[in-house]
Amino acid sequence: MSGTFAAFFILSLMTIGGAVFMISFTRVVHMVVSLGVTFISIAGLFILLDAEFVAVSQILVYSGAISILMLFGIMLTKHNAVEDEGSKGVNRFFAFLIVAVFFGLCFYGIQNTIWPEPAQTAPNAPSNVEQIGTEVFTKFVIPFELLSVLLLVALVGAIIMAKKESDSE
Amino acid sequence: MTDLLQQSTSLWNVSMFIVAAVVLLLVVLFFVTYAIYFERKVIGWMQLRTGPNRVGPLGLLQTVVDVTKLLLKEDTRPKDADKALYALAPVLAYAPAFAVLAVMPFSETIQFADLGIGVLYYMALSSITVLGVITAGWASNNKYSLIGGMRSAAQMISYEVPLVMSVLGVILMTGSMNLREIVEAQRDIWNVIPQILGFCVFIVAAQAELNRTPFDLPEAESELVAGYHVEYSGFRFAMFMLAEYVYMFGMGSLVTILFLGGWLAPFGLDFLPIPGIVWFILKFLLYVFFQFWIRATMPRFRADQLLPFAWKGLLPIALVNILITAVVISFQNGTL
Repeated sequence: MSGTFAAFFILSLMTIGGAVFMISFTRVVHMVVSLGVTFISIAGLFILLDAEFVAVSQILVYSGAISILMLFGIMLTKHNAVEDEGSKGVNRFFAFLIVAVFFGLCFYGIQNTIWPEPAQTAPNAPSNVEQIGTEVFTKFVIPFELLSVLLLVALVGAIIMAKKESDSE
Repeated sequence: MTDLLQQSTSLWNVSMFIVAAVVLLLVVLFFVTYAIYFERKVIGWMQLRTGPNRVGPLGLLQTVVDVTKLLLKEDTRPKDADKALYALAPVLAYAPAFAVLAVMPFSETIQFADLGIGVLYYMALSSITVLGVITAGWASNNKYSLIGGMRSAAQMISYEVPLVMSVLGVILMTGSMNLREIVEAQRDIWNVIPQILGFCVFIVAAQAELNRTPFDLPEAESELVAGYHVEYSGFRFAMFMLAEYVYMFGMGSLVTILFLGGWLAPFGLDFLPIPGIVWFILKFLLYVFFQFWIRATMPRFRADQLLPFAWKGLLPIALVNILITAVVISFQNGTL
């Protein structure tokens, strides 16, 4: 058994486990922590695929997001708030049915797709950041710029909304 | 070390990984033990005291005894604390602190993993610690530790931004995020000279990230009821303290690599038969001494001035630094 396979097995177990616990936990902070486990394990899976930059961005973006989500979870819910057990009976049966059909469709789709041969990359290339950078600033420069404008608008919008609230008080 | 990573997995090289990690852990623990000892000694000297001098010769065993005391202490837990998260929080805080050391090139040969994105790896992993801090504050079920955890989270998230921004200048100059290439690019001149603005921002933001003076609000037990770890004692408290000192180790290594030329000899002393690791350790210790010096000198920041300083003071300076660096580089390349 190769180390990559073992790592993949552990990481995928943690990814799925985190997601399952995220659903089954009843307290907000527990959910957020298990969501964090999922996100960090996904970053590990990216590393196995030699996509270091994506992996690190995953951690950088989502661990920050998780912290903020947790803060909101703490501030906006009661300390001992526990979610209800959820619906029983008929609803559960239909939910299971829909999920099973969805799984079947996905499984069928994945099995019947002809995947293109993965592009050969240089083994142990020191960095794929450079390639990503070049692509982003030449081939994909317009989507990149549009995204930047979108983020800027969101930023300015957030500031204006926060400003209005403090003025009215 | 790096060759080992490319081999196929066998019992032999897996056990080699474990041995190497344990050796690094022992080195770090030794560093932490004597960093605490020297911290108390140096601060003592600066305040015209002797510092610890009772346990062992010159007080050398003082920290060992202190740690033993912490480990033997009863492990108390507040009655209504969240058991699982209360136990998990110190691990969440400590594990990334140790994991960031994996990419540090301590010399030409001593390095665990040669990642193409070494700088980003450090920044990404160190942001996981915030999660541990909030978890600790919440799981203690104490309003003071919750408020302390929120305060620390705000501080660490805010100061991470200028920290990353100040490193961008170095990355622009090197054209790489690989720590080894960053060191090699400093053969002519250390980054601290051309990047002096970025260096200043980095040092200040690093103090805040490390929760060290003048930003050591979590330790402000006299005015702010300490911070997220009020309810912790014994072994778990030791884990938080250990995480803080291991981060000092990591940040010291990072400053040495990014700005002080890593293992390269200073002042053209290349001809001396001194291995690179010695230069690395000397520069690293300089940074550690700087920490103690600051701690003996500076008063604490006020909590309400903390965040404006990061956003209105450090961030604009870091952005100006990026702009200047970019303009100078494009001028040199003749594209301007």
